[in-house]
Amino acid sequence: MSAQLQRIVIAGNGIAGLTAAHTLRDAGFEGELTIVGDERHPAYSRPALSKALLLDDADLSSHHLPAPTHGAIELLGVRATGLDLERARIRLDDGEELPYDRLVVATGSRARRLSDLPDEHTLRGLDDALALRDRLASRPSVVVVGGGPLGMEIASGCLAAGCRVTMVAQGRPLVLQLGDRLADVLTEAALERGLTVVETPGATVERADGATCVVLHDGSVLEAELVVSAVGDVPNTEWLAGTGLTGAGVVPVDGRGLVRPEIAAVGDLASFPTPYGRRRVPLWSSAVAQSKVAAAALLRGAEAPTLSFQSYFWTEQFGISLKAIGVLPPSGEPEYVDGEPGGAALLRWPEAAVALNYRIPIPRLRKVLAA
Amino acid sequence: MKIVLDRPRCEGHGLCGEAAPSLMHLDDEGELVLDREEVTEADAAEAGAAVRVCPVAALRIA
Repeated sequence: MSAQLQRIVIAGNGIAGLTAAHTLRDAGFEGELTIVGDERHPAYSRPALSKALLLDDADLSSHHLPAPTHGAIELLGVRATGLDLERARIRLDDGEELPYDRLVVATGSRARRLSDLPDEHTLRGLDDALALRDRLASRPSVVVVGGGPLGMEIASGCLAAGCRVTMVAQGRPLVLQLGDRLADVLTEAALERGLTVVETPGATVERADGATCVVLHDGSVLEAELVVSAVGDVPNTEWLAGTGLTGAGVVPVDGRGLVRPEIAAVGDLASFPTPYGRRRVPLWSSAVAQSKVAAAALLRGAEAPTLSFQSYFWTEQFGISLKAIGVLPPSGEPEYVDGEPGGAALLRWPEAAVALNYRIPIPRLRKVLAA
Repeated sequence: MKIVLDRPRCEGHGLCGEAAPSLMHLDDEGELVLDREEVTEADAAEAGAAVRVCPVAALRIA
């Protein structure tokens, strides 16, 4: 490790920034470490927000993570607003500047919105999830716009809370992300539990007669007491404007997560090389894997290993737990390694292995795919 | 130093077993088994990595 390395700044306190901080310490960095997080909350588990946190009766702890042990200075409720590459400083929205010898860019992404209306709810951060929980207590009628995994998890949580729920999706829910076979399994479970699915080529969120509503492509209007959209995410890269580090709204990095020798970018905003081309993989396990590699590279440069990553994805919705290793969506018919259609099953495609209501640890699921 | 498992929270993802294969594994039923609960200073980094990779915070170090 270079002796002159004194200050490392991490912009972002999600699992990517948190993992980078711990990895830097584990690798022996003893200098000043500063983490900047735009939320006032300590780091939490984002996957839990749309799963257990929406369902738990009184337990509001499903998103808790163990207290950090990285000993970093934590600046919470503060946002990075600019980066000066020449002077090696980041600017913060409280007017402060932080100098760095190494920088980790981990500012994640935010929910994409369909309108600027305050009544269009999204679920990205802990405050969003807590607000949604509060609203669900009065069992409002709900329209969820967006038939991806997040939209379906939200719909599942709303149904479980006793709400009448309509899902507005571009085409059949989950097909784009999970393929026909898995989408069918989950959608069937959703319909059995009472979800109404409306397919449309496109929808907007508008305000009419003092209420927020969803307008479908054919002009028909869906009214609901609660409108939630889950239509993708937008990487938080605006603060990097003018640095040349971004392209097409993402931060392209090399196989070690570096954009420059002294700057790493990790998590939802980073686009990294994979065997299937350059990708952004905004998933928990991806953020963890990227951050470990990039933290090592910041300290050891080209001596550090490159990222070798096999995507792990899971969802819980409508009473079904799905765990997947490999490349989604899988195409064609799966092989039933165990179980059978309609029940708990272990499925294999050439490019992915999937456990449906089937308890299996990740290392074993990887072996199923490799077999 | 001791690793403590909150079993009801564990969903059997098994990311911990990948991070700390010498300290824990998941059995054939997908239940987490702590092979060593007492960990030494030498295992601290591995134990910490296992605790921190869990997306449901089912592990902690006491």
